[in-house]
Amino acid sequence: MRKSVVMVAVAGLLAGTAMAQAADTKIGALMDVTGPLASFIPPLMNAANFAIKNVNDGGGLLDGKAVLVVGDSQAASQPAVDAATKLVNVENVPIIMGALASGSTIAAATAVTIPAGVVQISPTATSPAMTEMNDGDHLYRLVPSDNYQGDVLAKIVLAEGIKKVAITYVNNDYGVGIANTFNAAFKKAGGEVTAFEKHEDKKNSYRSEIATLAKSSPEALVVIAYASGSGSKIVKQAIEGGFFSRFIGTDGLRDDQLIKEVGADALKDSFFSAPTSPDKNDASAKLHEAFNAEYKEGADKPFVDQTYDATFLAALAVEKAGSADKTKMIQALREVASAPGEVVGPLDWAKAKELIKAGKDINYEGAGGSYEFDANGDVTGYIGKFIVDGDTYKQIEIFQ
Amino acid sequence: MESLMMEFINFYLIPGLALGSVYALGAIGISMIFGILRFAHFAHGDVMTLGAYGTLTAVWMSGLHPLLALPAGIAFAILAALAVDKVFYKPLRDLPTIYTVIASFGVALIFRSLVQLIWGTQNEVFIRGVQKPIVLFDLIRVSVLHLESIAVIVLAAIALHYFLTRTRTGRSMRAVSDNPELARVAGLDTEKVVRSTWIIGASLAAIAGVLSGLDTNIHPNLGWNLILPMFAAAILGGIGKPMGALLGGMVIGLIEELSSYTWFTDEPLINPGYKTATAFLIMVILLIFRPQGLLKGRLF
Repeated sequence: MRKSVVMVAVAGLLAGTAMAQAADTKIGALMDVTGPLASFIPPLMNAANFAIKNVNDGGGLLDGKAVLVVGDSQAASQPAVDAATKLVNVENVPIIMGALASGSTIAAATAVTIPAGVVQISPTATSPAMTEMNDGDHLYRLVPSDNYQGDVLAKIVLAEGIKKVAITYVNNDYGVGIANTFNAAFKKAGGEVTAFEKHEDKKNSYRSEIATLAKSSPEALVVIAYASGSGSKIVKQAIEGGFFSRFIGTDGLRDDQLIKEVGADALKDSFFSAPTSPDKNDASAKLHEAFNAEYKEGADKPFVDQTYDATFLAALAVEKAGSADKTKMIQALREVASAPGEVVGPLDWAKAKELIKAGKDINYEGAGGSYEFDANGDVTGYIGKFIVDGDTYKQIEIFQ
Repeated sequence: MESLMMEFINFYLIPGLALGSVYALGAIGISMIFGILRFAHFAHGDVMTLGAYGTLTAVWMSGLHPLLALPAGIAFAILAALAVDKVFYKPLRDLPTIYTVIASFGVALIFRSLVQLIWGTQNEVFIRGVQKPIVLFDLIRVSVLHLESIAVIVLAAIALHYFLTRTRTGRSMRAVSDNPELARVAGLDTEKVVRSTWIIGASLAAIAGVLSGLDTNIHPNLGWNLILPMFAAAILGGIGKPMGALLGGMVIGLIEELSSYTWFTDEPLINPGYKTATAFLIMVILLIFRPQGLLKGRLF
């Protein structure tokens, strides 16, 4: 008797979830939760969840709720492929936001999402290799390619009066991409590169590498690596060994983790470049206020804007397509992201849903930029110059 | 010339010895477990991670220097090792060892996930900021930590040697390692030997984890990232030979750092990007000519 009651209850529960699921739509997310980007993730996870919350508070996605399904791509190729395979084949998501690192984004796209025909929007991947990829228009990103960041960084370095640098970069898609563009741009603009060496991530000692890099007395060391991976260790060991006192970093190194490990004092002469949001942007201010009201802190952390925008755009594409049919996502994404159309911004889900329902064209202008994708799925954007200020970073200049 | 010599000592030799100490401390445990329990313990790196996080928690709670808080981390690692042995490995002990090996993979994942769950995925540091090295006679620049690492490995080597040759438990451990059937027939308490193995292996692993964490930072993959060189060290030294593992660890650590020294020309002998590969290459070559390892270990 009791057994049958339990059976009925279980059956009821199952039916209940099945019914709820039928109406809900999954949005996939590849987040590098563990690994060298781990310290970036907590505010970004909030950003993605916040976008989904806005969707659900503003009337939901299609006829039900939006549900974020997260896979841990670990900023490495193999875990990214595993996580993406699960999202595509098991969860059947129509569209994927992520991944964050260039390496995991490219691996997931090449092995899983492009063959499966699923659109993938990375909020942060900057490798120039993505521009040339034969992706059948499935791969998008919301930050400018490092072809651009490399050029800007070369200008910033020369403007600081530094003419002779050594470069070390992490041996992955991110490091190789930006190191090559920076190296070429810096030399072309008249700078001298005394050493150009790659290194492996996940080692404990980089002392012999640094000793090699310090030969022929460069004025500063350009470190293209993730702070939670090899970046902080290299900076720390270079200072401890007395090799370098001035460092130049990119967006991977501009992480509070670096200050936590090395200390602000030791970094007072160093500076960093990173994709940033346009100056005095209403959409960004609006998002930050709402974000901090929800989570108390973190709206100004790197890539919160882009991660929110990528998740929001993914949801908009599904809404525009009118169903969770993955084949309709390319056209839908391009329509909602690009001009012409009525402008909608962050938090405007209810308005966007209304306009789409009325058959009007919309144009999402996000907190991190306006995202007019070119034929390669790339955007133009903004690069900021950052210096250390207490426990975090301060933007002191912006380049377009 | 003199300054070149100093550069060699300061930036290649001493860091090589310090790195080797970490490998060696981990490899001793791996080698002993292989010798006595007859399986490759893939969760050993994660025991290191647990030791490092245990110590970190003790540092947070007491404010002591990490090396003074080390006993807490050691105790934590020992408890974890004894617990998984009782729950996961002991029931599998009579089956072919491959079951235990695979179980140890599972345990490794459990440990790592627990660390992520309790302490989070972000990196942590024992001591914030840069530690200025000690400068002697204007020539030798050496980090305090590296001196500590080298001192720890010397102490560990002496203590281990004394333990294995002079104490009853140590001699029983060697007997079980050399011939388990004979040891059992002779009336040795094998369960006690197994327990001692875990206690020693976990203690040394916890020390290695803390040294590695002090040198760089503490993160959930700390031990897992070191597991390959540690296995290489255990195999190189001769499986089942703790002193061999110690030697193997130092050799692997030294080769990694010294291979990129400017030996013959102004260029590094081997691009530093390939230094891990160099250590493994030398291990493979050595094993082709001396398969039992440096100290005549077991052949399987």
